[in-house]
Amino acid sequence: MAMNVIMPQLGETVSEGTVSVWHAEVGDKVSPKTPLFDVSSDKVEMEVPAPGEGTLLEVRVEAGTTVSVGEVIAIIGKEGEAVEVVAPPAAEKKETKAEITAPAPALSIATKASNRDSNGNPLSPAVRRLIAENGLDPDTISGSGAGGRIKKKDVLAHLGSGAAAKPAPRTDSLTISGETEVIPFNNLRKMTAEHMVRSKATSPHVLQAVEADFASVGRARQAVSTQWKEREGFSLTWLPFVARAVCIAIRDFQRINAQIEGESLVVQRRINLGIAVDLDFDGLVAPVVKDADRMSLSELARAIRDVSSRARANKLTPDDFTGGTYTISNSGVFGTMITAPIINQPQVAILSTDGVTKKPVVIESEDGESIAIRPVGVLAQSFDHRAIDGAYSAAFLHRVREVIETTSWKSMLT
Amino acid sequence: MASKPKAAKGEGRAKASRKKTSAKAKSLANDDIGEETRLKLWRSLLEIRHVEQRAYDLFLQNLIKGTSHLALGHEAVAAGFATAMEKDDWTFCTYRGHHHTLARGASMEGVLGELMGRECGLLQGKGGSMHLTSVEHGAMGSYAIIGAHLPIAMGAAWTSQYKSTGQVSVCFFGDGTTNIGAFHEALNMAAVWKLPVVFVCENNLYMEYTPIGDVTAVENPAGDRAGSYGLPKIVIDGNDADEVYRTAQEAYAKARAGDGPSLIECLTYRHSGHSRADPGDYRPPGELEAWLKKDPVPRYRDRLADFGIDKKVIDGIDEKVMQQVEEATEISKASPTPSLELIEKDVWADGGVAWRN
Amino acid sequence: MAELTYREAVAEGIAQEMRRDEDVVFLGEDIGAAGGVFKATVGLLKEFGPVRVRDTPISEQAILGAAMGSAMTGLKPIAEIMFSDFLAVCWDIVANEIAKARYMTGGQMSMPLVIRTANGGGSRFGAQHSQSVENWAMMVPGLKVVAPSTPADVKGLLAAAIRDPDPVMFFEQKSLYPIKGEVPDGELVDELGTAKVLRDGDDVTICALAAMVPRAIQAAEILSSEHGIEATVVDLRSLVPLDTKTILRETAKTGRLVTVEENPRLCGWGAEVASIVADENFWDLDGPVIRITTPHIPLPAADELEDATMPSADRIVREVSEKID
Repeated sequence: MAMNVIMPQLGETVSEGTVSVWHAEVGDKVSPKTPLFDVSSDKVEMEVPAPGEGTLLEVRVEAGTTVSVGEVIAIIGKEGEAVEVVAPPAAEKKETKAEITAPAPALSIATKASNRDSNGNPLSPAVRRLIAENGLDPDTISGSGAGGRIKKKDVLAHLGSGAAAKPAPRTDSLTISGETEVIPFNNLRKMTAEHMVRSKATSPHVLQAVEADFASVGRARQAVSTQWKEREGFSLTWLPFVARAVCIAIRDFQRINAQIEGESLVVQRRINLGIAVDLDFDGLVAPVVKDADRMSLSELARAIRDVSSRARANKLTPDDFTGGTYTISNSGVFGTMITAPIINQPQVAILSTDGVTKKPVVIESEDGESIAIRPVGVLAQSFDHRAIDGAYSAAFLHRVREVIETTSWKSMLT
Repeated sequence: MASKPKAAKGEGRAKASRKKTSAKAKSLANDDIGEETRLKLWRSLLEIRHVEQRAYDLFLQNLIKGTSHLALGHEAVAAGFATAMEKDDWTFCTYRGHHHTLARGASMEGVLGELMGRECGLLQGKGGSMHLTSVEHGAMGSYAIIGAHLPIAMGAAWTSQYKSTGQVSVCFFGDGTTNIGAFHEALNMAAVWKLPVVFVCENNLYMEYTPIGDVTAVENPAGDRAGSYGLPKIVIDGNDADEVYRTAQEAYAKARAGDGPSLIECLTYRHSGHSRADPGDYRPPGELEAWLKKDPVPRYRDRLADFGIDKKVIDGIDEKVMQQVEEATEISKASPTPSLELIEKDVWADGGVAWRN
Repeated sequence: MAELTYREAVAEGIAQEMRRDEDVVFLGEDIGAAGGVFKATVGLLKEFGPVRVRDTPISEQAILGAAMGSAMTGLKPIAEIMFSDFLAVCWDIVANEIAKARYMTGGQMSMPLVIRTANGGGSRFGAQHSQSVENWAMMVPGLKVVAPSTPADVKGLLAAAIRDPDPVMFFEQKSLYPIKGEVPDGELVDELGTAKVLRDGDDVTICALAAMVPRAIQAAEILSSEHGIEATVVDLRSLVPLDTKTILRETAKTGRLVTVEENPRLCGWGAEVASIVADENFWDLDGPVIRITTPHIPLPAADELEDATMPSADRIVREVSEKID
């Protein structure tokens, strides 16, 4: 019995995906244990196994093609089986009906596309969505409706005609000639590049940094290090402490946790922390730990571990990228001293933590001044000067440092 | 409370009367009701009286919200019919239904807790005073739309007839109900189908605030209608628990024998207004006082004494019941308010409320 | 596969379930000896006898009260209310009692019953015997609401309704009783809460119910041949539960929704469907939602007046072709 391979839903808010690579050719044996194809969507690349055991009978969609969720992209069956016996359309409908998803968030569409074209004809919600999603100019689309109104099918025809740019197929092949090596950007690299340029163009960045004494954090890590590793299966790093301190500091400095809309600052009540994760030098992602402020230190450590390990295993879904309100980037493992991070749009600030190293520190006490060896790290924040000013950012950083230095972290873990 | 024994007649009276009236003592021995059942009736009367009185007190403390229709004065009807029932018989009653629900054995904290909107309530706060139900005790619901439950009780009787289970459905309602269409539809169909259902009218003289005589074409609102459905006119003293009990026994026997329904009018009186909001000012002066002389609770206390039952036993039950009411009050007060999760539960048999996929 | 009329399918559905379950009983006015005023229950008294098929007096409250009382104590009654207009005289039992009993008692009571009734216009009966009142039932929490358009759906959905543990209002459209259709042989049990896509087209999605379904299909053929408009036609079949997944999927596909209702305009079921689509499919809509209903008037009796009042295939064609661009 032949079965359909459909474009899977990569997340609750996603309606299409791009087949980036096929791992099998027609005639190959496939199984649910091995990847059949890679699919990419926005920021995610995901390996998808075959839905069942069998032989790949037909591939309906070439690598690089973007199709709607639920669309049949290949057929699996017994070797030599006629392809015509695919499940009947009625069953097909039933199978995909659960996949119909809510449209993209209303706000972004409403602000991106006007509800009339330049001739004064109404643009329907469906047309406005398609125009916004594909970055189209309505004046380049010819309308077939009453009075030249652009209908949904006109936009689809426009997109299908090649008049609009199509997503380029992914390729991993290298072109080597003479002294140069050309490495084409993969989707993730392209996304990252586009985002960085846009962020720099959008936000006037200002960098500020403070030095923090990590002695209290160091004592806590040392005290629980072995038992933590045994119990949780991973090491307790500096990062969760910084993240926790950020959550506490945001309570006093809520404008750090915000985004700019038009001429307003929209302050977010929830604190959803983006955690920047490097994917083996092959790209950068910032999955989000939602409601980070409601988590205990241990919970936060686990949540950060969860998103970063899923990021490295290519197991993130688009939902993991939505809703971030503030981002932390951590380059500490390489011992850097300071990094000027680029803001993760549409947020207004980002924090970079770098290496924590032992340094001589002057300690002031009632007995006078003395020099001690302390673990010290730099906390560097880039902020959007449209949203806040230097004093506010500095006060926030001061608070983060205060929390890191004065909290009795050990008591939270033991 | 009016149930205190008169001081002049002390403990000696029972002994003396037992000696003096040997004929009566003899009749006690041969009496069709007997001491055991009488004490059951007594306990039931007291349970209702004390719980209703407590419900009234809790209104005054603002611990019971909404409306509530007390059955103070109606105790003998509930106690008499319920005590004569088999465990698996079914009771259907109106929004004035605390007494019938208690009489079937539902717990006091179940009733008081429901009135107070607490989790320990019979319906966990979802029904309230007017919908007390305890299916496990055969209390098949309190129906707050006048007349609706007569056809429903008739339907339950159809099940017992169809399945030959011998169960009787007993349906209680007020005098006002006799003027609504459903009363007549149910009586007629039950009579034609010869269903095992007993319709009991608690005639307390008022349909809400209006005297029933002012709005009804016949003197006995239920009794005088019975003939229309080929049934005998039965009008009894609803404040005499023994008379109610005997009448119930006869009606149940008729129903179980397959001889069809009965319609019984019990004359009684409510000591308080129609509902919480009603002080009962429309009643002529002296009427309440006259009926208080026929109060079913002290009346039955005297009856028990007349039959030579020891005062200690009589008072002991009273004290025990009062203690239970205190405990139930405390349990109800301590019970949490219902979980908000209940809001989205139990519209459908699957436990959920979904109307779409 | 046998060809049955809509009315024969009613009796077939009831008989199928009465044969399999002794707890299923049937009561109503003129349903037994007379075989129903619409002859939809012919043969049931003969097969199942007067203990299970009971003729009643003209007492709608007693009929539904008996259904409720017997359902909550162990039977699975089917009650017939001859004309759905008469539901108004026993609406207390439907809306206040049957629908609420389980919820009010915290789940102590079950209500496995079916209320069958002849609903809708087209038979020149005038305003008190022609109303389409499925929307009344739809508004009451605790009632399931079914309205089939074909003989096969009558049998399959009626069987499903009888087996369902919750109260089901089963609206038979009386002008459809004589229509014929193929009904699969053997036991047939459908699924409540599922809509059917009867025709597939890319330009517009028409949602219809009961007698409006064949009219919508006829209209879709005319729209295709004369106007080049391809319509998807969805037979909702059930209003509660409502198959919103199918409705949303089919309207997202075409970007246009048309509801065709027999209900008078205000608060007809199409209003709810339009609201759900506007709410959840807004960014897929390619134009306004169109509701085609009976005007907000009592239904007149004379042929010409009634025909001009209820939505017809011609009216659907006219409204869709004019408003779709």
